[in-house]
Amino acid sequence: MESRSPSIACIGIIGRHNNPLHISLLPVTGQDGQPNQERNRLEYTFMLNSSLDIFEARMPSKTVGHDFGLLHALDEPIALYGWLTNTGVKLIIVVDMGGRTAQTAEAGKTAILGLRTSDLTPAFQALQTAYIRLLRNPFYVPDDHDPRTTKLRGSLEITSSRFIKEVERIGRTWYPGITAI
Amino acid sequence: MASGKAARMGEEVWKTRTEKINLEVLSLTYGTLISQLCLDLRLASNPSLPDYAAVNTELERMGHSIGLRLIEDFLAKTSSGPTATSNPCSNFRETAEMIAKVGFKIFLNCVPSVEKWDREGRSFGLVFEEGSLGGLGDWVELPDDGRAQGELWFGNLVCGVVRGALEMVQMQVKCEFASDVLRGDDTTEMRITLIRYIEDEMPPDDE
Repeated sequence: MESRSPSIACIGIIGRHNNPLHISLLPVTGQDGQPNQERNRLEYTFMLNSSLDIFEARMPSKTVGHDFGLLHALDEPIALYGWLTNTGVKLIIVVDMGGRTAQTAEAGKTAILGLRTSDLTPAFQALQTAYIRLLRNPFYVPDDHDPRTTKLRGSLEITSSRFIKEVERIGRTWYPGITAI
Repeated sequence: MASGKAARMGEEVWKTRTEKINLEVLSLTYGTLISQLCLDLRLASNPSLPDYAAVNTELERMGHSIGLRLIEDFLAKTSSGPTATSNPCSNFRETAEMIAKVGFKIFLNCVPSVEKWDREGRSFGLVFEEGSLGGLGDWVELPDDGRAQGELWFGNLVCGVVRGALEMVQMQVKCEFASDVLRGDDTTEMRITLIRYIEDEMPPDDE
């Protein structure tokens, strides 16, 4: 039986009014790195939703920094990590401790030992960079994605294909111990 | 060699006689201008869709009035100093070199290459390699509505600037984009075609 190592299961970007801006799901990968099994979108949406309460609860006490670290560990394999930006945008990464086949023996041990919070910092930094890059696009109007100021109807999620591809790339290439994405 | 001289002049003026502005400020401002125009100018037949052809025309018109004034600044900067040129360009090829190596260098800090001359030497292309127009289109992603990619020329203001500037030195040119990296092409290319030299016309006789 092959040993498993952690991989990112889902990346969520939630706006300042707790509106989802983007949710990316990454599948469980099998032996050869190919996607094995899709994840249930509704299940992960609920998970992200419930983690928002943790942001609210910890908000007053968090004086410095924006890395909320481990928000919540659900069951055995799933763990949620969060990062709050100064503008109120929340970046949440859901890690599946057995999400991919271990590439090396060491990687396999991480699944048992657990992740350090700092393991995810490069992923959060890459996400923040991608978000900033999106904001610099003059055709992206942040007001259109904010439920209080939008004049659009329907889904308020981000539609920029470049941003979505970048988020998926970050999710796919992350592994514990990576220094820069 | 004319192009070497022009390149040196461009470098020298850029280093010593120009005020600099942060590129991000400029590209964010320009980008906002374009996206606001897209919001303001709508199709007559369908007011919820932007009229990209009208945006292009408007940008070109704005660029034209900028160009009319910019040429004075350009001539002032390039007619003094050690690498000055006191003679006007003797032929259209020299004009092309001056625009590419000096004009664009001074105002946008990018040096397109002059290529693809047509047979009579009346039309050439300015090819920008690094990104879109020296950084103006750095972070831009054209809207994904199926039409912007085919209709909007993001840098059209610059076309107008070239046309306006050359008009003040007695050259009537047509300036338009042939390809743009923002549309997915490999390079950004601007084609400039000389239509005619404008001779000074006498005012109509009163009698």
